[in-house]
Amino acid sequence: MRRHRLCPTGLYLGVIAEQRARPEGIEGSPHAGPFPVGAYAAKLRDELRKRARVQLFGEVFGLRAGRARVWFELRDTEGAVPCAMWRDAFEELGLPDGALADGSQVVVAGGPDYYPGSRTASPSFSFAVSGLRLAGEGDLLAQLEVLRKALAAEGLLEPQKRLARPALPRCIGVVTGEGGKARDDILAGLRRRGWAGRVVWAFAPVQDRHAAPAITSALQDLASVREVELVIVARGGGSLADLFAFCDETLCRTVALLRVPVIASVGHHTDRTLIDDVAAVSCSTPTHAAESAVPLHCAEARTAVQSAAGRLALHTRRAVLDRVRHLAHLSRAPAEHVARERRALHQKLREVRASATRRGREERTATGARAQALGRRAAAAAGPELAARRTALDGFTLALAAHDPERVVERGYAVVDDRQGHVLTSAEAARRAREVRLYFADAAVDATIEDDG
Amino acid sequence: MADQQQTYEAATARLEAIIKRLDSGEAGLRETLELVREGRGLVEFCAGELEAVGQGLEELRLDELVARLEQ
Repeated sequence: MRRHRLCPTGLYLGVIAEQRARPEGIEGSPHAGPFPVGAYAAKLRDELRKRARVQLFGEVFGLRAGRARVWFELRDTEGAVPCAMWRDAFEELGLPDGALADGSQVVVAGGPDYYPGSRTASPSFSFAVSGLRLAGEGDLLAQLEVLRKALAAEGLLEPQKRLARPALPRCIGVVTGEGGKARDDILAGLRRRGWAGRVVWAFAPVQDRHAAPAITSALQDLASVREVELVIVARGGGSLADLFAFCDETLCRTVALLRVPVIASVGHHTDRTLIDDVAAVSCSTPTHAAESAVPLHCAEARTAVQSAAGRLALHTRRAVLDRVRHLAHLSRAPAEHVARERRALHQKLREVRASATRRGREERTATGARAQALGRRAAAAAGPELAARRTALDGFTLALAAHDPERVVERGYAVVDDRQGHVLTSAEAARRAREVRLYFADAAVDATIEDDG
Repeated sequence: MADQQQTYEAATARLEAIIKRLDSGEAGLRETLELVREGRGLVEFCAGELEAVGQGLEELRLDELVARLEQ
């Protein structure tokens, strides 16, 4: 009996040998052969490929993607088959990211195949998958994705987002299960906002197959009431199958085209139902949905409005009082200006009078002194004529007194100056000055000399 | 509703604009008085809206509301 060592070198030597001659078979063996393994492998592949194409279902395990193919095992409790799918074909399925993962229920179509390997590559058996469909929850997700894409293509994910949402609605409609916790959560959220308006409940089943039509109808009914300004649709967490009512096409189309904004809070934040996509707002909990329905914190808003009222009052007072003060100031200004001018004029008049009086006094003193000197000289020289001369002298004194400018002015004469304080005593001086001021006993007037001589 | 056209958010936005204008000190007397008059109207509207949602939460079932509206 000849034995081949199964080492690379041995294989190599064997191939060389095979090329030269087929080795002898096992002595006494009832089986045909020996045949070259490559030929057998190719035959095996051909035989497997002749087997009927079938569909299998099971659970995906060990999913991994290579450059050209995607591999996984399809398992159930009884057994497993290794599966391979061309990567191009897999991507053409358009499965949402993460939809196919270990544990996913799938249906695959295809048949057994055998890769015969080569001198450098290991052979492998696999079920060649030509078609694949998600089943179970994965199937729901896939259906959901198809519907989501269809609604998006029709532009139905947008209309709700474009609706104006009131900052302070007076009346909020709510669609939810009658006995659910969502109801309490919504009330808690509204209370947290300090909101105490009107809530209209439209109770509906939220998880069986009657749910979607009932929810649709409740939404339509609420929207038909004019005073309802927005609607919250709320349901607590559940399995995707439970929440599937909220992925109903008719329901989602109704929401998309509803006249009032819909705030959806369905399931927990990890669940994404289709109503979350078409609604104006999607919230993770019913409490958040309620807070989102009333964006304003009512107590804060009251404070803000009071503050605004206070500011308006302040501005009114300020505007009126400031302007009254300004007006009063303006009204006083002309009178003050006139008074100031009058004071200046009086001052000038006093100065002119004082100046005239001073000069008169000096003249009088000088004249008196001269008169006394003359008197003395006259008395010494004239003797008996003294009395007569004294009488004449007294007359001169009276005449001088009569020339006191103040007296003169009081009698109807006027003192003329050049407005600079220089008294003008001649027509020539007046002509030179041209602009003169005439001081009468009561006041001064400005005058212009028109006489050019 | 007091005013179908008026919304709370529009009223508060206008009120803020009015106060900003008044705070700027650029408005003349006539404008100031007109702005204040408009602002008072808005304050009254906002206070009314807040009053309407401050009287106590009222819960109604849809059928009750419909019945009430039909009366």
